[in-house]
Amino acid sequence: MNNFRKTVRNLVPVYVLLLPCMLLLLFMMVYPVYQTVRFSMAEVKLPSFELIFVGLHNFIQIFSKEEMGIVFKNTLVWVIGSIVVKFMLGFWAALTFNVHVRGGLLLRIICLLPWTVPSIVSSNLWRWILQSDIGLLNGSLRAYGLGDMAHNWLGDPNSALYSVLVANAWSGFPFVMIMLLAGMQGISKELYEAGSMDGANAIQLFRYITIPSLMPIIVIVLLLQMIQNLNSFDMLYVLTGGGPGGASETLSLFVYRIGFTNFDFGGASAMSVALLVLAIILFSLYNLKSNKSGKREGAK
Amino acid sequence: MKKRTRRAVRHTVVYLSAFLLCSFSLFPILWGLSTSLKPEHQLYVQPPKWIPDPVTLEHYMDVFKNKMMLNYFYNSAFIAVASTVFSLMIGILAAYGFSRFKFPGRNTLLWSILFTQIFPRVVIIIPFYVTLKNLHLLGTYAGLILVYLIVVLPVSVWLLKGFIDKIPYEIEEAAIIDGCSIFSLLWRIVIPMTFPAIGAVAMYAFILSWNEFLFALVFSSAETRPLPIGLAFFIDEVGVQWGQLMSASILMSIPAVVVFSLSQKLLVRGLSEGGVKG
Repeated sequence: MNNFRKTVRNLVPVYVLLLPCMLLLLFMMVYPVYQTVRFSMAEVKLPSFELIFVGLHNFIQIFSKEEMGIVFKNTLVWVIGSIVVKFMLGFWAALTFNVHVRGGLLLRIICLLPWTVPSIVSSNLWRWILQSDIGLLNGSLRAYGLGDMAHNWLGDPNSALYSVLVANAWSGFPFVMIMLLAGMQGISKELYEAGSMDGANAIQLFRYITIPSLMPIIVIVLLLQMIQNLNSFDMLYVLTGGGPGGASETLSLFVYRIGFTNFDFGGASAMSVALLVLAIILFSLYNLKSNKSGKREGAK
Repeated sequence: MKKRTRRAVRHTVVYLSAFLLCSFSLFPILWGLSTSLKPEHQLYVQPPKWIPDPVTLEHYMDVFKNKMMLNYFYNSAFIAVASTVFSLMIGILAAYGFSRFKFPGRNTLLWSILFTQIFPRVVIIIPFYVTLKNLHLLGTYAGLILVYLIVVLPVSVWLLKGFIDKIPYEIEEAAIIDGCSIFSLLWRIVIPMTFPAIGAVAMYAFILSWNEFLFALVFSSAETRPLPIGLAFFIDEVGVQWGQLMSASILMSIPAVVVFSLSQKLLVRGLSEGGVKG
């Protein structure tokens, strides 16, 4: 292999192979981040995009906006709520499909469907179900004599965020299921056999073998979900647009509104930088965790 | 005998639980499908009726007759194919480099490529907007293909690298000794050997572009508008045409559902290798 590498390196430096990819990343990732940081500390004059340095002014201004508290609260509810519901559904599904029964594969693929549907389609499906006057949900409630519970799900500030959260959990839980299922199938059968020989019952086997063996993958799934839900945009944008009255506006939608409705590029960039720092912290944790579990797997 | 009853109980519980999960997964999709097959006057019937009677394809016909809708389909397909082709061309070169060489900065580069996948998209739409505006590419196909590359290239590189890692390098070694250049080596040996994998990656990249929403929202114009944005703002003088909207949504889902269901094993492997093992 060493010899081979030398030969190839003499023929063509590896950097030539990587050049197109690196150029693209430089142009489309590194440069934009650099620009965002610059914008965040400048007043952006439109339409010329002339920059006037203003230091931390944008940060102070954006964080002292009165809706900031609601946006943070919504983001927290959205991220934590989505993770909890997705994880519970995903774990339940993984446990179910980890048992081999006839037709199990087919049932598993059916359960996977919500994840395969494009985000705009799942948004539209739920928009149609949650319609206040003619939607399936309210119609069914009325048909079963529960008309009192019929509700303007997306139009009521108290229920808008939670309604979208259910839709989000629907489209995201299959991913959690696949990851956990992959983890469960990687647990050695001998562990369970040894456990039952020692007289452990099903609950004990689950508590002392399944959960600890899954722990590394659970942590990774949780971190991935945190990042994913923090970044999620499509569903909220299509179902409520952050409304009514900002009642379902999360950080992503907030940045979008400040940037592309108010055209305050400086303010939006300041918020972006904050979001980016958060994402980098989460990614570093993820990096750390997945390296560790990779090593552990390698040691086995 | 006792063992058999316990088994039966266990299976019943599993089937019951699977049934509940599958119903939850399926009902929104089935309701959309049912809506797309109902005659117009049955769409708003209360209480809701699940089975369309009679079944009609009129909404699908409407979609095929709707010039705007056809244009959305065309735009989506064109942009997705182009970004897939470019990401494969660039991706194969880079994946081969990452797979066969050790060089300073290799791991850092690989991790930064992975990072782009989980990057908060809203953070870069403003600089992209400015850059595309300066290049006069805002709202053009070229501009959209360029931004879509950022969505599909990282995944392509990661998945392709994983597949190239698995093929033995001895054949390449022999070819080099015979005086084969690096590009004919790629073209004659590496690409043919990884062809099925490249096909899978191509399908995945196509679907990612096909589904992309935020970048399409910000960077497309009325002429280049792809399907997701068309469906998000599908409304006319009389309000939302739910029958047509559901038919178009079902049509739009077909490629993604087929590809993901067929290649779930492969994708799980790619995702968990990329994500878990590092």
